[in-house]
Amino acid sequence: MSLGEIIQVTWLSLLVSGSAVLLAMAAGLPAAVLLYLKKFPGKRLITALVNTGMGLPPVVVGLLVAVLLWRTGPLGFLGMMYTPAAMIFAQFLIALPLVIGLSLAAFEQVDPEILLQARALGASRFQTILVLFRESRMGQLAAVIAAFGGVVSEVGAVMMVGGNLKGYTRVLTTAIVQETRTGNLRSAIYLALILLALSFLINLFLTWLQQKGARRWQGPGWK
Amino acid sequence: MARPGLEVRNLVVQVAGRKILEVSYFDLRKGECLALFGPNGSGKSTFLRTISLLQKPEAGEIYYQGQAVGPKDRERLQQKIVYLLQKPVFFRGTVRDNLLLGLRFRGIERKQQTARLEKTAELFNLRSLLDKFPHELSGGERQRVHLARAFILEPEFLYLDEPFNGLDVRFREELMSDFHKIRKVTGVTTVLVTHIRQEAVYLADRMAVMLEGRIVKVGTPEEISSAPDSSEISRLMGQEALVEGVVERADNGLLEIRGHGQTIYAFGRQKAGDRVVLTFRPEEVILAPARPASSVRNWFEAEVREIRPYDRMLLVLLDCGFRLKAFVSRSSVEELGLGPGSKVWAGIKATALSTWPDPKEIDSSGNEK
Repeated sequence: MSLGEIIQVTWLSLLVSGSAVLLAMAAGLPAAVLLYLKKFPGKRLITALVNTGMGLPPVVVGLLVAVLLWRTGPLGFLGMMYTPAAMIFAQFLIALPLVIGLSLAAFEQVDPEILLQARALGASRFQTILVLFRESRMGQLAAVIAAFGGVVSEVGAVMMVGGNLKGYTRVLTTAIVQETRTGNLRSAIYLALILLALSFLINLFLTWLQQKGARRWQGPGWK
Repeated sequence: MARPGLEVRNLVVQVAGRKILEVSYFDLRKGECLALFGPNGSGKSTFLRTISLLQKPEAGEIYYQGQAVGPKDRERLQQKIVYLLQKPVFFRGTVRDNLLLGLRFRGIERKQQTARLEKTAELFNLRSLLDKFPHELSGGERQRVHLARAFILEPEFLYLDEPFNGLDVRFREELMSDFHKIRKVTGVTTVLVTHIRQEAVYLADRMAVMLEGRIVKVGTPEEISSAPDSSEISRLMGQEALVEGVVERADNGLLEIRGHGQTIYAFGRQKAGDRVVLTFRPEEVILAPARPASSVRNWFEAEVREIRPYDRMLLVLLDCGFRLKAFVSRSSVEELGLGPGSKVWAGIKATALSTWPDPKEIDSSGNEK
């Protein structure tokens, strides 16, 4: 594999997984707030589904997206099959329950009296939600770390809906599979090291953010 | 007369279908400090949350400055009201961040924020604590910061839920006296929830006594102490139940009561044959080495059972056929040479005893049988 190809593959990995996580946050965080603050029938069922979704096998998600996007499928008219957009869609579905589930768990760590005290000091509803995020930001970061780690390393879904097309939908994980299959073990190992390093650097950055916050905000006997 | 700052009518709050609060009328005058006083579980905190507009009542009307509060007014009024929870919970950040957060909620501009922070830090003596984190503070300091973040908002109505709870005596008295001064300076209309009589008497212009979800009596601390209306309020106000007995004679309000082998004189509205409960304040009991000639009608020969320190006084537990408590100073105990087993005369004026219908003779509706 040429250097250009490696850069292109790495960039696509970052783009697909990063976009999927950002979209999952955009949809998942409001959903987690609703699940945390509102009482409605079926809340328990939805929470159970979200928790199940956190362990969803990527190939199953890949299959679901393929069925939807297939030329004869309900969303076939979009012509998205075997495009990076399809890969983002699949990874979004994998990341979404992780973001909702872990974010909800982080909210539940916040002392409900903090929110009541915020309201009692004059916070509007929106400001109260901001306080909720502020108080649980460590847990929110953990949710992002888990979601990104989950999607950047999966291979099943992107393979199925992206098709591993060279120069178009090939990402680090599918490239590793490809190179191993054709006996280019050296290339496969380089790509694997890049994937590991990438994953490590991003996690290092997020963990650094988290611990910086922890040192600044938290201490023994907090509350 | 101007309309009261807050009026409440026919308020009902239910939790899980059970009525936990029922207040037919309550008013709060501008600038006063009212103590909501009652035992734990009497509905004080629920009432406070409801008038803070944080808990929706099932029924009833709340009027702020003469205007009925509707769902649309809540956000606007919440800017004028500050309610402090009993537990001082802090937000992430330093003491400074915690003090400023409420101002940020209200969209107060930065210059004004700094000015108010300066003023409040000065008033509450918090300058040295501003850059500390809440977990680095002592219990007394935390409570001080908790109170300060209410005052910094300069609210019109300040609702405090047991703000001096859980502090040791020294911190409590210091903070209470500071609070008293600061409240006088700012003139903020205050409701203070407490189950401690001394707090209510010391800080409040008026008291509202709560029992089982109802406000049963409102008045100045003096009015409530001198005419408590029921033996429950009387007990809450620090009067000890003395003895149950039967009225033998009633003469122009002076009752001669037989109980526990003693004859006791007290004033009351009961008639001969009624069963009564007598209550008194331990500070009204006089101790003497021998029965003196005096205007005091009730003298009992008693044996000292135990002497315990209580606040700055001593509590002497006596047995004179029934149990009697007396508060006396340390020097009096020394002068009288009191110790467990020693004999002493205990006197109490007939006017210092309150008489109540025996609760066993009162039906559940509160009417005497």
